[in-house]
Amino acid sequence: MAVPQLETIRAEFDAALLAAGSDPRRLEEVRIRFAGRRSGVLQSLEEQLKGLPREEKPVFGKALNELKRHILARLEEARAAAGSGEERQALDVTLPGRTPRLGAVHPVTLVRREIEEIFLRMGYSVADGPEVEDDWHNFEALNIPPDHPARDTQDTFYLPGGLLLRTHTSPVQIRAMESMPLPIRIIIPGRVYRRDSDLRHSPMFHQVEGLVIGEGVTFANLKATLEAFVHVLFDPALQVRLRPSFFPFTEPSAEVDITCILCRGKGCAMCSGSGWIEILGAGMVDPRVLRACRIDPGRYTGFAFGCGLDRVALLKYGLPDLRLLFSGDERLLRQFVGGGEA
Amino acid sequence: MLSWVLDHLVDSRVGAAELAQRLTAVGFNVELREPVAGGAAGDEVWEVDITTNRVDAMNHRGLAREAAAAGGGTLRPLAVNVVEGGAPVRDLAQVVVEDADGCPRYCARVVRGVKVGPSPPWLASRLAACGVRPINNVVDATNYVLLDLGQPLHAFDLDLLAGREVRVRRGSAGEVLRTLDGVERQLAGEDLIIADARRPIALAGIMGGADTEIRAETRDVLLESATFHPRRVRRTAHRLGLKTEASHRFERGADRTMARTAVDACAALIARLAGGEVALGVLDSAPEVVQAPEISFSLARLAAFAGFGVPVEFVLTVLQRLELAPVRHGDVVTCTVPPFRGDLELPEDLYEEILRHWGYDRLPAVLPPATGGPGQRLGFWPVTERARRALVAVGAAEAITYSFVDGELEALMAASPLGQRGEPVPLINPLSSRTSVLRRSLLAGLAEAAAANLRRGASSVLLGEVGRAFFATEAGVREEERAALVLAGEVGSWEERRGADFFDLKGLVEGFLAAWGGQSVQWRPASCQLLAGGEGAEIVLAGEVAAVAGRLGAAAAGKLDVATPLWVAEVDLSALGEVAPVTFEPLPRFPAVTADLTVRHDVKLTYQELVRAIWAAAPAWLAEVTPVVRYRGEGVAASEVKTTLRLTYRHSDRSLTQEEVNIAHFAVMERLAADLGVRFD
Repeated sequence: MAVPQLETIRAEFDAALLAAGSDPRRLEEVRIRFAGRRSGVLQSLEEQLKGLPREEKPVFGKALNELKRHILARLEEARAAAGSGEERQALDVTLPGRTPRLGAVHPVTLVRREIEEIFLRMGYSVADGPEVEDDWHNFEALNIPPDHPARDTQDTFYLPGGLLLRTHTSPVQIRAMESMPLPIRIIIPGRVYRRDSDLRHSPMFHQVEGLVIGEGVTFANLKATLEAFVHVLFDPALQVRLRPSFFPFTEPSAEVDITCILCRGKGCAMCSGSGWIEILGAGMVDPRVLRACRIDPGRYTGFAFGCGLDRVALLKYGLPDLRLLFSGDERLLRQFVGGGEA
Repeated sequence: MLSWVLDHLVDSRVGAAELAQRLTAVGFNVELREPVAGGAAGDEVWEVDITTNRVDAMNHRGLAREAAAAGGGTLRPLAVNVVEGGAPVRDLAQVVVEDADGCPRYCARVVRGVKVGPSPPWLASRLAACGVRPINNVVDATNYVLLDLGQPLHAFDLDLLAGREVRVRRGSAGEVLRTLDGVERQLAGEDLIIADARRPIALAGIMGGADTEIRAETRDVLLESATFHPRRVRRTAHRLGLKTEASHRFERGADRTMARTAVDACAALIARLAGGEVALGVLDSAPEVVQAPEISFSLARLAAFAGFGVPVEFVLTVLQRLELAPVRHGDVVTCTVPPFRGDLELPEDLYEEILRHWGYDRLPAVLPPATGGPGQRLGFWPVTERARRALVAVGAAEAITYSFVDGELEALMAASPLGQRGEPVPLINPLSSRTSVLRRSLLAGLAEAAAANLRRGASSVLLGEVGRAFFATEAGVREEERAALVLAGEVGSWEERRGADFFDLKGLVEGFLAAWGGQSVQWRPASCQLLAGGEGAEIVLAGEVAAVAGRLGAAAAGKLDVATPLWVAEVDLSALGEVAPVTFEPLPRFPAVTADLTVRHDVKLTYQELVRAIWAAAPAWLAEVTPVVRYRGEGVAASEVKTTLRLTYRHSDRSLTQEEVNIAHFAVMERLAADLGVRFD
């Protein structure tokens, strides 16, 4: 008892299978068209069967079953034949893949972002400012008048018109205090310049500096902030030591040492045997600096801290020479592919 | 020298290590401790880092004072006994201070009848341990007192002083002084000098003159112990490039009372070492006592500043040991600043004295209260960070190169519309000619770095940098945020390597610009020295050149010494403006019909013109035009090219029939043939 519609489909299938020959891809196309689970011909015929009047169902159903058997059996045969026809060569999966070129973040950028993330979460914003500065912002407002001996340690590159290349990121502190509403909580990363070049000094390097100004800001706040910073950046097991020091723009001032990350405090060449390495400078903002920015030191206090980003990068990644960071040597830079960025 | 410090202390019961540790904790970092060569057992030489504000501690007594305040003993009172005799000093010599601004106090004594010779071993070895070469007993006495009390002194041979007088005055142009180091120094009007009746005999506070120095046959000595103005000493020392123990201290401010104490101590020491008689009295230009300033502070304010209440007994004890004479009235403590502590001016300076002796280690640590949420990146940071991420996303290794470069290279790299936005900014005092100008283009450093990689044998280079370019302006210097890329050598995966070309570079630039969203930029041929002719482009955004890209031109490439072409690009980040926000476009609901089109056309017809013509000729439901293949060669004339394009038609509201697509496609071809004169064979 032939059903004409199904006979036509059977003929179409046979023709398609013949045309596909032993090409596995074309055989798969035939399978999908006729026996595909989502929208194959057999699938739609089964849908059609469900909608037929009860009396027509047995005849149609029987013919459909037969067609289904035919199609599945012939597909199986054809696939087996195709498979035995050409044995596919196994791939050498150990050959390298065609990887697109992957970028690499500069180690100084990695360290900078890591520091920024720590402080962004603590409510600090990231500020910027000019690299070409005037004497007021780079020196005078920071309580470093002309002829101050502190200028000796900051050998300066001068530009025409009384301008200079900033010797530290601190002038951005002044600009922030001159322009931002109080309270202020910022960090300032950036390029700085000093006229100095040897293994440990580069005429251009990077600093990051923090500034907090508000009512009731204490030295205890500074100490806790520095400890939190060092512990997140390096290792919570490291000890942090504050030593009294001097900077013209902070009073009191402190140098911050951490346990030497190489010898863990035993004493080695990196820490000159002391077990400590100097990592930060910090202090309470000098009232003269606040006054220079028209902030009332009777009402507001604040703290500032700063460190060399390049030095942190050297320590963190064990790089030998500061100047290597600015060489553009891809043998170095490409070691940071993938970057270890959180 | 440890034993020397201990000379100034009584009841010191702490060991050497403990003393070093305590001094470090209060701000005098003992960086190195070594045994004294040939010295007493247990004695040590220390290298102590003393901050520039603490000139008072740059001597053994000053350090002993800090040690005492840090619990290292009690400071021994300073006892100076000078036995005088014979003629009054005013009959033997004269001191005239013409420049009292430069010299607030000048004290002089005369020691007559000395016998110059070597110093005794105890003194010579102390000087040697401190790195000072012993010379003779008179000069050594001055150096000893300097190291002991911090007052620089100078001994003149009185018989060699014309008119037996000393004048403190300004130098005058044309005057010459041969200093102790044998160098002839040209003096200037701003210099503060010591002269006799005829000629300069010393650079005040810096170095004495060779013509009046102590000789073996010197019999009478005039001893100078003065206070010079820090800025005057500093200016002359800087101008002459001369740094001495004396200038180092005077630049940081000297103690005017010590000038008198030290001249007594030194005269007594000379008499002890070299014999002779200290003449009666002192020539003192300003013997009057200067009123000591007072500083008051509130204990409550100190507690608020520190973040905890420092016990008041501790506050008073430390200030007392530092010789600040604290007096307490309720909440207020008033200190009298001794003349050797010129660094103390404000209450905060006293807070530091108290807190550093309390110990920063013992201070509590309390995080500041939380603010209203995370901070933000301000200023240019969002843009520069986006640019860095975009460079890395297209595969570049991020480089950081110097902002100052070689002038010639800079000029070549700035020869583009981006580099010609202003004049370069020269450094007045560069380290070398190779770093003499601020860059107007990041390519100055980046192309150099790429070339260095190639010279090292790299087969493939892709560097990116984000940083600033600098331009001279009327008002000063303008800084522009830039990004740059340099591509060179091979591209492609390991089995299909080939030399990079313009379209590799263009792809990188397009990928970079994609980070700003779909900005409609226009690429057009560039004609600038930076880029090789016919292989460079300007990228125009809103009518302005926002970027340049192409092969580095011969002039610049020649300077870098590499044969491999360098493909360079630079983008002005400020020109890119706001990032276009992503807005979702509904997904197509009806199937697309594609039809290819092979166009044979003149090479002068640009791809952009061809595609624009297609869009103009096609119905509104043309959805996409993409290139399939470009062909030149056999069967195509030299002036022609065959471009195959794939046109995708898709209507947003209904399925298209093959027939209506065919009609539209043929209509496009007819229009192209008519308008552009192209063929389809």
